[in-house]
Amino acid sequence: MSLARIRWMAAALGVLGVAGVLVLHWLVFFWVGTERTMGIVQRIFYVHVPAAWVTFLAFGITALCGAAYLWLRDERLDWAAQSAAEGGLIFGAIMLTSGPLWAAYAWGTPWTWEPRLTLTLLMWFVFVGYFLVRASAEDRQAGKRMAAVIGVLGALLIPLVHVSVLWFPSLHPQPVVLNVEEGPTLDGDMLITLMTGLLAFTLIFFSVFCLRYGLEHMRYQRALEMREQPRAT
Amino acid sequence: MTVYLRQVAAIVRKDLLLEVRTGERLAAMGALTVLVAVLFHFAIDQGLVRMQLLAAGLIWMTILFGGMLGMGRTFEMEREQGAIQGLLTSPVPLDGIYLAKVVSNFILVTLIEVVALAAYWLFFGFNYGNDPLLLAGVLGVATLGFVAVTTLFSAISAQTNMGQTLLPILIFPLLVPVVIFGVTATGRIFASRPVQEVEGSLYLLAAFTVVALTAGTILFRYVVEE
Amino acid sequence: MPATAAASRAGPPVLEAASLVRDYGPVRAVNHVSFRLGAGEFLSVFGPNGAGKTSLLRLLAGGLRPTSGEVRVSGIPLTVGDRAARARIGILSHLSFLYGRLTARENLRFYGRLHGLGDLDSRVPDRLADVGLERYADSPVDTLSRGTVQRLAVARALLHDPGIVLLDEPYTGLDAYAGAMLQELLSALKDGGRTVVMVTHNLGRGLELADRVAIQVRGSFVFEAERADLDAAGLERSYRRAVEGRA
Repeated sequence: MSLARIRWMAAALGVLGVAGVLVLHWLVFFWVGTERTMGIVQRIFYVHVPAAWVTFLAFGITALCGAAYLWLRDERLDWAAQSAAEGGLIFGAIMLTSGPLWAAYAWGTPWTWEPRLTLTLLMWFVFVGYFLVRASAEDRQAGKRMAAVIGVLGALLIPLVHVSVLWFPSLHPQPVVLNVEEGPTLDGDMLITLMTGLLAFTLIFFSVFCLRYGLEHMRYQRALEMREQPRAT
Repeated sequence: MTVYLRQVAAIVRKDLLLEVRTGERLAAMGALTVLVAVLFHFAIDQGLVRMQLLAAGLIWMTILFGGMLGMGRTFEMEREQGAIQGLLTSPVPLDGIYLAKVVSNFILVTLIEVVALAAYWLFFGFNYGNDPLLLAGVLGVATLGFVAVTTLFSAISAQTNMGQTLLPILIFPLLVPVVIFGVTATGRIFASRPVQEVEGSLYLLAAFTVVALTAGTILFRYVVEE
Repeated sequence: MPATAAASRAGPPVLEAASLVRDYGPVRAVNHVSFRLGAGEFLSVFGPNGAGKTSLLRLLAGGLRPTSGEVRVSGIPLTVGDRAARARIGILSHLSFLYGRLTARENLRFYGRLHGLGDLDSRVPDRLADVGLERYADSPVDTLSRGTVQRLAVARALLHDPGIVLLDEPYTGLDAYAGAMLQELLSALKDGGRTVVMVTHNLGRGLELADRVAIQVRGSFVFEAERADLDAAGLERSYRRAVEGRA
């Protein structure tokens, strides 16, 4: 894909995403009904869940592109893996801060060491390591390979995180949308608000992803141009 | 297959010979192990807390830090005089190099586990329960998982300019399962609980170890190859 | 490239590079390098730092996978995963690949085991004698001089009788005497019918042993010649032109 096209996509996704977030805030503050037992703080849920979704999506992309990079050694796969990991780190931070804010009221404690929280936190740290290795590798190419290895290992945690909430009895809420047995158990207006949040966050993520990918693309082209230019003596 | 095993054995033998000759890794690991135990003695007010209740946790933290200290040098010591290039350009398959390093690290860490158990018994009079065989089994399986992860990542940290500073940040998130199930299992053995209460943790440890060894064997070549 | 007399005599060339390319991200370290070497031929590759010489050598050793093109050993393509092919290749670098705390004998026995050699009890003393180090057999490598270590490294590289020997700046860090000793050992390589590729920025040393020379600048071979068609001054001129001339 050409650089201009990537930029155009980033802009379009960004505008749609920001608009979506504005609509989401209007829905959250003025439109959606207040949940009966948890009260007003339950509204954090409309930020927390989309952030969590995007985090897992991003780390999943990183792992898949990383594994493919190890296989095919196409630089573009590495740009994609890195771009997704950065997005994942940001949305992961949103998830890890919005969660305790909500839990402090809903559970009476900001943090609890139940499996899903624990593994999510650990996964976030794995991806901190992903960037530390990239940044400190003595050989840039080796850094890309080693980061890809870490991305793959980090992603091994994702299924564990998802399933852990089912295996272990815990405080963490059960799935309310992807509930296999009963279908969505959320009220209509809540479902619409949540879906808006998911869509808006996903759009923003892909916008940032495209911008970041475009940047790597540009750096690569610049380096190629340097290579073609005769040296100044 | 026998050629493969002989090559792996040659690397293990060389590692152990170097260790016998210099003793550098073992000395550092052993000293740290004992010193951590000394620090725990002063860090915990034994008038308020019964140390025996913390035994499994303290021992596992000690093993983790002691083991990491020595294993962090697994590949750094191969890089002096470029010996790692000699290994990588020899006919030994890359997974063989990884497995050899896992074996020699496993032996080192097992030795410092003995030191740790002895030190804690000496300093705190810990009771290790009445099933030494089961304890050895749990320690063995958990250690293998710990070593499999740490050996892979020591190959990564050796290729960065942060070196061993980076190692704990990379491995601790992945080692949490070892700590959770290792501490649970050993704690129950120390308390002389029935085998049935240990089994679950042991199976989960075994699963972790199998996944870690498999992933390490497959991924190692991407860490060192170009 | 003209087929050399040795190559045409011996059928398929022992070592062949076919349009080798290696990129590191956007950086091209090796750019369409091709050559064919027969048994007993010695190729010296000169070039400034960063010209891609070491990358070329690692491609030839099968330690680096080419972005495109291939290396053939006796006509068979070399792949990175093919560990067995390494039995036919010996590598000598300015690093010894030896363990300082082990003795000369222990180091050689270790490498012998990696290569699956069975006759180490006789082979190791023989090889130590070949490089004149019998009396240092049980000395830790740490205690030996730089020149002595490099001779031991030669024994290490040739321990498994490779048909192809790759030399990566082998003279770095050696004094004049040790350099001359190494020169003598390396000149014996050709007598054994071995195919040798040496990369170096040392024009004098490189030219002495070579049958053919090439100059690599920014990844590409920009100059190639037969040793017979070239003298030291001529090589010097060509080198200067090649390195500066592409401005």
